[in-house]
Amino acid sequence: MNPLLPFLMAGDPSLEALPQLLSGAKALGLDALELGLPHSDPIADGPVLQAAAHRAIDGGATPLRVLEALAGLTDSPDLVLFTYLNPLLQIGAARLKKLLAPTPVRALLVVDLPFGEEPAFEADLRAAGYPMVPLLAPTTPLDRARQILAERPDPGASAPFAQRFAYVVARLGVTGTGQGTDLAPVRRRVTDLQALTTRPLAVGFGLSDAASLAAVRTMGATPVVGSALVQALANGKGLGEILAPGLR
Amino acid sequence: MTDSFALPTRFGAQQLGGCYAPETLMQPLFDLEAAFRAALGDPAFLAELKGELRHFVGRPTPLTPAPRLAAKLGLRALFLKREDLTHTGAHKINNALAQALLARRMGKTEIIAETGAGQHGVATAAACARLGLSCTVYMGVTDMARQAPNVARMRLFGTKVEPVAAGQGTLKEAVNEALRAWAGRCDRAHYILGSALGPHPFPTMVRTFQTVIGEEARAQVLEQSGALPDTVIACAGGGSNGLGLLVPFLGDGLRRVAVEAGGHGKALGEHAARLDGGRLGVLHGCKTLLLQDEHGHTAETASISAGLDYPALGPELAGFALDGQVEVRRASDEEALAGARLLCETEGILPALESSHALALLSALAAEGAATVLLGLSGRGDKDLSTYQSRLGI
Repeated sequence: MNPLLPFLMAGDPSLEALPQLLSGAKALGLDALELGLPHSDPIADGPVLQAAAHRAIDGGATPLRVLEALAGLTDSPDLVLFTYLNPLLQIGAARLKKLLAPTPVRALLVVDLPFGEEPAFEADLRAAGYPMVPLLAPTTPLDRARQILAERPDPGASAPFAQRFAYVVARLGVTGTGQGTDLAPVRRRVTDLQALTTRPLAVGFGLSDAASLAAVRTMGATPVVGSALVQALANGKGLGEILAPGLR
Repeated sequence: MTDSFALPTRFGAQQLGGCYAPETLMQPLFDLEAAFRAALGDPAFLAELKGELRHFVGRPTPLTPAPRLAAKLGLRALFLKREDLTHTGAHKINNALAQALLARRMGKTEIIAETGAGQHGVATAAACARLGLSCTVYMGVTDMARQAPNVARMRLFGTKVEPVAAGQGTLKEAVNEALRAWAGRCDRAHYILGSALGPHPFPTMVRTFQTVIGEEARAQVLEQSGALPDTVIACAGGGSNGLGLLVPFLGDGLRRVAVEAGGHGKALGEHAARLDGGRLGVLHGCKTLLLQDEHGHTAETASISAGLDYPALGPELAGFALDGQVEVRRASDEEALAGARLLCETEGILPALESSHALALLSALAAEGAATVLLGLSGRGDKDLSTYQSRLGI
């Protein structure tokens, strides 16, 4: 099981720093990493990731420059590109496939794209090796969860974690460090979802302290750490310094 | 519990609209559509809505002939649909009240709303006070400054006004924050979106609750003049006022015109004219004409009118525009100010800056051959007095 799925915002603190952050993540033994493509209107993000996106955009981290910065990188975990639909839609599937080809991106997590809204776009990218990560929210009934997992199918046990996992949203609301997120309902939810699917589950939204991360691992799931990591990086801490305690 | 939509979610040949929502909001949106459909089929709900529209909102609103302004512009006849005379002073109350009734029927105890000019916020605050619902309105800090009287009105109605400092501090950021708040409280809160925007079913629901404007106006103009006008015109921010007036005239052989904010220039960032300046894109849950830069980031907008200062045209209205059923035109800040002044001087009516954009186009319509025009006067201008004072030097 992948012990941790960290989230970084591309271009924060800078695009130049990105290769080193990614190789640092790989050196920590991480299989996969979510990389945020900064967007002007991140409607599912809390204050920390909003601020990071705006710092990145102000620093010139446009979608094309981010993808260019990733081209040719091999010393990196598999990347899940975390973004909103409009920038990808404007690039278009045909061009996007070409831009993604030389990068470590293995899957896309598009927050505002439920299955069925852009079927041709999604099918085109999946066929090219860029599946959409299924998102399962606390409000998602199990019948719909089953449907989402079928519409965004598991490519099989031989595929890497980045292309197989389903993202379990731990609580209502937006991304951010939850103060005392109650993990009991999360545990029940993960158990219910594990009865539906054998694919790996990642649990995110509101996890920050080492104890929560460890608790998610005892559920047999991979914890996602996003806002807490982005905030600590912005405060000048190093990636290894931040993540190593959570990996123990 | 339903797990899919029953109503059409797309509009026009380009299939605009849709439901581009985060997964957390999908089930709440399914539930909302189901509740909306059930309410429309329930005579008790419809009777309550009708009663509230009559006794609380003040409907039907008058259709006022404006002969002095018509003569000045070279029109044979001009009729003003007086949404400015509704309780709270703009068409926004039609939708806010209906959605508040729907929310109460759904067992929701809290209301979330966004506002630009403050008219939707005030309307929602009033409806919530009347129905005993707690209410939080998200409003950009720029808009709070330029529409300060409306902030005070909301607070008097017991609504909490949450300032949104991000970005330009206008309507787009307020919608962002309202969507985030709803994702956090969707188990107990209903989000009253104020325009025909957002993920399905909002555009359809808002348009449905606003077409009372055009239905009344169509009957009134027939009653007063014995004929339909040759042109029907309204301003369009998101499009709730535009659709509300124009949709009941879709089957008629006449010109239907929506007027966007031309701001103070033609370059991106200087206006909110989405038809000329926009490309298809996705913002706030729907695909539509969107002002955006080459990276797919939402562009900045500018308008003297907070209610039109929004980067996306509602998807249904954009569909009608692209399919040729509605003409979309633009009026600049200066033209809107001149239009407002002319209405004040000729008819003794102070229009909102939003409505003034429609007024601004009347002389062009007359020059193009229009003779009889019905104009949607979406709101009153009291909230804009300080802008009128400073910009018109009075």
